[in-house]
Amino acid sequence: MRIWDIAWKDLKVFLRGRTRVAFSILMPIIMMLMLGFIFPKTGGSYSGNIGIYSQDLIFNAKVEKSLPASQTNKMIFYNSKQDLIDALASGKIMVGAIIPKDFSLSIALNRPVTMDVIPSPANPQAGIMMAQMLSDMFGQAGSQNIKQNIVKSNLINADGTNFNYYDFTVPGLMAMIAIMSVMTGLASAITRERELGTMDGVMVTPISRGSIVIGKILAQTIRGFVTAMIILVISWLFFGVSFSPVSLLWTVFLLLLGTFSFIGVGVMVTAAMKEQETAMITMTTITFPMMFFSGVFFPIQQMPKVMQYIAYIFPLTYAADALRNVITLNVGWNFIWFDVAVLAGFAVVTSLAATFTFQKLIQD
Amino acid sequence: MEDKAIVVKNLKKYFKDVKAVDDISFEVGYGQLFALLGQNGAGKSTTIRILTNLAVPTSGYVEVAGYNVLKNPTEVRKNIGLVAEKVILYNDLTAMENIKFFGRLYGMKDPEIYDRAEKFLKLFDIWDFKDILISKMSTGMKQKINLARALVPDPKIIFLDEPTLGLDPVSTKHIRDFIVQLREEGRTIVYTTHVLHDVELMNVDKVAIMRKGKIVAMGTLNEIRKHFKKAEIVEIETDRTLSFNDPKIKILEQEDGYAKVEVEDLNQFMSYLTKANIKVRSFKSLEPSLEDIYVEISEGKLDAEIETVKE
Ligand SMILES: Nc1ncnc2c1ncn2[C@@H]1O[C@H](COP(=O)(O)OP(=O)(O)OP(=O)(O)O)[C@@H](O)[C@H]1O
Ligand SMILES: [Mg+2]
Repeated sequence: MRIWDIAWKDLKVFLRGRTRVAFSILMPIIMMLMLGFIFPKTGGSYSGNIGIYSQDLIFNAKVEKSLPASQTNKMIFYNSKQDLIDALASGKIMVGAIIPKDFSLSIALNRPVTMDVIPSPANPQAGIMMAQMLSDMFGQAGSQNIKQNIVKSNLINADGTNFNYYDFTVPGLMAMIAIMSVMTGLASAITRERELGTMDGVMVTPISRGSIVIGKILAQTIRGFVTAMIILVISWLFFGVSFSPVSLLWTVFLLLLGTFSFIGVGVMVTAAMKEQETAMITMTTITFPMMFFSGVFFPIQQMPKVMQYIAYIFPLTYAADALRNVITLNVGWNFIWFDVAVLAGFAVVTSLAATFTFQKLIQD
Repeated sequence: MEDKAIVVKNLKKYFKDVKAVDDISFEVGYGQLFALLGQNGAGKSTTIRILTNLAVPTSGYVEVAGYNVLKNPTEVRKNIGLVAEKVILYNDLTAMENIKFFGRLYGMKDPEIYDRAEKFLKLFDIWDFKDILISKMSTGMKQKINLARALVPDPKIIFLDEPTLGLDPVSTKHIRDFIVQLREEGRTIVYTTHVLHDVELMNVDKVAIMRKGKIVAMGTLNEIRKHFKKAEIVEIETDRTLSFNDPKIKILEQEDGYAKVEVEDLNQFMSYLTKANIKVRSFKSLEPSLEDIYVEISEGKLDAEIETVKE
């Protein structure tokens, strides 16, 4: 009851600030649009050729039959790695792929296989995108029943044809923006209240410090939920992300869990900071690298090994992964239970830690 | 358990290299109005923060309302109200919404909160503003609502940290009178200020003067005055020439019914005048006034004498 009093007060205070409300609605919209649109348009319209140097004879024979080259992306076969690199350097191709000897065999035997892909240094982003497209196409070319991870950095669409880079970024973006909006909210709900002195007023009442924290977490989770809904609508309207009723439910659930998993950390950071400004900077220092590490923009599998380990520290990594599975692949519990378990673990552990350390953090 | 509202023993609070509170001890009885007087940075607010469980002491014992602040913080908090240096009100909520929010945290029901809020807001003559946002109010109005907010849960002990800071003389007087009234209701009040005049006007039960984290003088105003004031110089205009056979009274100058007299005991001097039926046309106490003493204490000039005051 008193927890709800705290939460409701926080929400009410938040809602009274018109600019504040306007910005927190605009923030996810602008972020989604900007981050979503800075990348070139959808799969079919990437312009640029794909260079292939294949050491696999079976592949050569097979590929001409099963892969009609699209209008925009022509496949050019090269005879040596050097030719491939030269072609990249001269801008003839956007991406160069080196197919290993055992490529087709591995796919046929359902064994994992790695193909070296060299994106054009001139446009790495497009190169990386096409690389993903490529592994997608090859993966399916091999056999109908292969699983997603046989070809490294393989990203498969639910329908199998229309691979789209948004399908890769949008789920991560959704989680990231929801988390970021909550972080901003926390900085004002805790550090600012502390700065203004009202936190002292709450802390001299008999209410337990734990209830204060839980009330604040509740308010921010509700805020995060609203932001998530905005993001959902934007991604549906502008990015053609489609949801089945089941995947929609999963998406909402995962967005909530994703934000919740981060709030504990946010509470601890903001409670330890005396000025709102410091809290904001600290939050940015955490969230900014997080968005690059967590596979929102680049597939984690493409990162160096050390970076991959770092990626698994951030809850966003799991939220983005689960959301991608749900939204892009339209799969359910069997494919996301691990992510959900990790996120729930994060959420419980950090919230408990926040509740127990709040008193110490906030007192001089 | 002693029948004291507040017991503080050897309290210390150090921030890195700053000794904000440096080994202070004092007691406040129930129903007393206790004033902590001191210049900026003397350690008043830090003391209040420790007593209200907002800061943890470096060492020492603190008991409020019969409970150890560190061991029974919730019990302590049930019995106290706080008006801190910064106004404890949300700018984006109305007066009543603020009071309701805080009241609920004490477990009060809405009608009860409303009734008590009505009592205080009407007393302060700001009932009409109950549904106005705090952000639209003047400093004086905010402070009155802030006081109401602290008093609605009916705390036994109330801490007021410079409640008249930034207020005009009229509002200051309102608040001062109100505090005196609260004491008359039997509430225990701890009041901090850097203005000696406030303390004199409120007729406090006990005052502790703080300097650099230490209590340098404590007692009633008269006790402090007596301790530091060996003699007082008065300017007096009477209907005749004065003469006294008392070594405690020295006439410094005298001319045409005007005299400058050094007296050790002002009361005794006054009773001499009355007994002799001397008509006093004008009377002016020159120095040292309590104000002078306070300034000298604050500047550290009386440190040698201070050693002897500490009980
Ligand atoms: N959180 C803190 N961290 C470090 N130093 C502090 C902190 N709080 C107070 N101090 C220092 O402790 C000393 C006492 O401060 P305090 O606020 O208690 O004084 P005060 O008597 O209330 O003064 P004022 O009349 O200015 O309010 C000051 O030197 C101050 O700088
Ligand atoms: Mg102070």
